Amino acid sequence: MSTVEGADTPKWNLRLYTAGQSPKSLAALANLKRVCEEHLAGRYSIEVVDLLKNPRLAKDDQIVAIPTLVRKLPQPLRRIVGDLSDTERTLVGLQLKERK
Amino acid sequence: METINPSFEKELAQLKERLEEAEDVRRAITRGEVDAFVVGPGANARVLLLANAYQRYRQLVERMHQGAITATPGGQMLFANQRFADLVGVPLAQLYTAPLESYVAVGDRAQLSRFLMLSARDSHVEVDVQRSDGVAIPVRISIASFADGYATLLVTDLRPMQWPTLAVDALDSIRNSLDRLNRDLPPDTRAQESLRSISEQLNGLARMIDEMLDVEQPKAAE
Repeated sequence: MSTVEGADTPKWNLRLYTAGQSPKSLAALANLKRVCEEHLAGRYSIEVVDLLKNPRLAKDDQIVAIPTLVRKLPQPLRRIVGDLSDTERTLVGLQLKERK
Repeated sequence: METINPSFEKELAQLKERLEEAEDVRRAITRGEVDAFVVGPGANARVLLLANAYQRYRQLVERMHQGAITATPGGQMLFANQRFADLVGVPLAQLYTAPLESYVAVGDRAQLSRFLMLSARDSHVEVDVQRSDGVAIPVRISIASFADGYATLLVTDLRPMQWPTLAVDALDSIRNSLDRLNRDLPPDTRAQESLRSISEQLNGLARMIDEMLDVEQPKAAE
């Protein structure tokens, strides 16, 4: 498990479930970093949970497919499944943008 | 106008949320945005990777300079890379399901067998592999991982590590021959001048080999 800090007191707490360094996991992390830097600069933290190392952690957030992003804070909890390559969908999923 | 029971409304909202989540998973799968799944309940959960997720590592294993094998506890090879096939000098396809011990020198087979049975305990074993042309090659077989009863083994050719020692032995032998020659030659000849020059070059080679050994075998204190 590793954490990338974006600020001293992050208001957005994001958890990305990955499967080691699978291509989609790496893509999801890169896409998430980009989105966070563009829209949440200085206000976020990303926790990366590698389910290949500890599959039991999948139960905590009911993960079935990988990668999956979970917005822990602000509540309510939100899940986005996939590599986050669709920025529009990611922003809507994180509620950073209204659904059209 | 009909009123909706609040508990029914709440249940409906929950069902809608679950449907959206299921739809999100379906959409991600059909668009190829995921490459692994979690299967099995709670404590027994396992992660299954799709075949393309392995591609990067597969290429790495196929091209690396060490032999790689996945073997059963009984020593049957389920996978081997091209490097190992080259090491033992047989086509790769011939290795699948073949017993690993058939490529190990007869005298080392019992040692290999013990190692495979206790592979979770011992980290490596040094044996000779027997090439198809009869040449014996010293290798170190080490455990890379041990899961589901199968051991993934790395096979390192030890010959390059022996080369500096062999070179030092060869240099010592040449030095001794030169000393004998030097004693037999009359003093103050051009031949002795040439011998001194050869000796200096040999000393230079010896220093280079010493430096190579220092690089390959860092001192314990470092």
